[in-house]
Amino acid sequence: MNNKIRNATFAYSYLFPSAILTLVLGIYPIAWAFRYMFYNYKGYGTARFIGLDNFTRIMHDTQFWDSVLNTFVYAGGKLLLSIPLSLLLAAILNRGLRGKHVLRAVFFMPTVISTAVMAVVFFTIFNSYNGILNQFLIKFNISAAGIDWLGPKHAMLTVILVAVWGAVGNYMLLFLAGLQNIPEDVYESSSLDGANKIQQFRFITLPMLGPVMQMIIMLAIITALKGYESIMVLTEGGPVGKTEVMFLYLYKLFFPLGGGAASTQVQEFGYGSAVSFVTAIIVGMVSVVYFYASRRMNRID
Amino acid sequence: MRIQKIFGNTVLWVFLLLFGLITLIPVIITILGSFKTNIELTTGATLLPDKWHLSNYSEAWEQANFSTYTLNSLIVALSAVVGTLLVASMAAYVVDRMDFFGKKIYVSMQAFTMFVAVGAVVLRPQFDLMVKLDLHSSLWGVILILISAHASIFFILLSFMKGIPKELDEAAKIDGSSLGRTFWRIILPLLGPGLGVGALFTFRGAWNEYLLPLVFTMTKPELQTLTVGLANLKYGISAASQTHYMMAGACLSILPILVAYVFANKSFMQMTAGSLKG
Repeated sequence: MNNKIRNATFAYSYLFPSAILTLVLGIYPIAWAFRYMFYNYKGYGTARFIGLDNFTRIMHDTQFWDSVLNTFVYAGGKLLLSIPLSLLLAAILNRGLRGKHVLRAVFFMPTVISTAVMAVVFFTIFNSYNGILNQFLIKFNISAAGIDWLGPKHAMLTVILVAVWGAVGNYMLLFLAGLQNIPEDVYESSSLDGANKIQQFRFITLPMLGPVMQMIIMLAIITALKGYESIMVLTEGGPVGKTEVMFLYLYKLFFPLGGGAASTQVQEFGYGSAVSFVTAIIVGMVSVVYFYASRRMNRID
Repeated sequence: MRIQKIFGNTVLWVFLLLFGLITLIPVIITILGSFKTNIELTTGATLLPDKWHLSNYSEAWEQANFSTYTLNSLIVALSAVVGTLLVASMAAYVVDRMDFFGKKIYVSMQAFTMFVAVGAVVLRPQFDLMVKLDLHSSLWGVILILISAHASIFFILLSFMKGIPKELDEAAKIDGSSLGRTFWRIILPLLGPGLGVGALFTFRGAWNEYLLPLVFTMTKPELQTLTVGLANLKYGISAASQTHYMMAGACLSILPILVAYVFANKSFMQMTAGSLKG
């Protein structure tokens, strides 16, 4: 009995640092948001209970729904470009190729450097006024005055391209890990039957990769819906709200934008908590819908 | 047939090299750009610098406060690594080796924090809490919050822990070793590879973290890390005249992690690929 108590004491004391940190800095903030979504609270003065008023306000908040729409455009664009590209690269690198380790390391490199730092670099590259890319476009007469990369017309495309640059290597590696699990002899026997590389990819690789692919796309969807750091640094959601995604809109409800720059938005903690709840529901719903829609991938016939 | 094959391979290699170039070019631009003058950067349209100016670095280091930023980044990243590994490995040890009331609750709590996507909302109560504890006027607030997000490292170390045979614990116990002694003297050294991967992962996350130090240093510029100081150059009034500092600063921030990556890219990749197998 004594021994039992001593063991339990030991277990709890070793678990304590992890448990207390998780509770206080991980769980409590979520509970905090749960409470304040029913309050009118601006961070000063007293918080007033207003029931579901924040949610009716969200219903009529066009700025928020615009940001939701932007999020879907951004996530859709990012996925459409990065998933096929990363799958293609993985499929190529998976078939023994000279220098494949070097190439793999190069493609994966963007994932180890800071998103925020690269966003600053991409700003100097894509800057419409004397940005590095436009200098070259003008120098080689590809475009007379350069392209307004961060202007209202192209800004969304630019942030998507930057996101794709950062994501492809990551998904390529995950696809590679999945491809490793497909037994080599399936390919060998199909080669004997006269299947070419494209047919092999279509009838063996894709179906066998199903479950892994389902997981990778799921991960990619959630990541794309959640991402806003690089957009924040690159465009601040502008110009005129063209690249404002929902998590960036949410951020601005809690904090003034970077470097204490003049923020157009008033910070509202109660309303922000409610918006946060709605965004979490949206991410959850998209995940569930995708999961049901993609069930077919999980069946290997 | 052979012609076809050679043609196919050429197309393949052109595609691979082109994409490799696209991947590398922003980093190459940053490194080369850090040696250029501001005028060269904004009007030059050249790839290589005209003259290699090291002065960008010395000026960024002294005048643009990058010495402070670098020191802060190092303090934050190293403390986060040590703290995370300690907290997560101790928890992983008792969860894997012992049975106690509440184990299931604890593990689900860790999983829950990994999957809930609520964005910036949690930063606010975290910040207010640190103000109450008077930890917001140093980097301790940032470090503690980084350590608190150790769920993924906990699960990684747990899977490594499962690979260490339980007979070792039994043998140590028979030899009269206490549970604590067994952990520090036997298990932890054997956990080496797992700790290494966890350290790389935590270092990368903490070194590259932007939002957390941004929020905590809004009124305290002397606590800014590299990422925050660099992004603020872009927000600054004189942004246009500081492109050369941006490049030098970006280099300072990227190089340590790139060097680590060159030497340990297998571990970095193992991390990502391993997450798939769960």
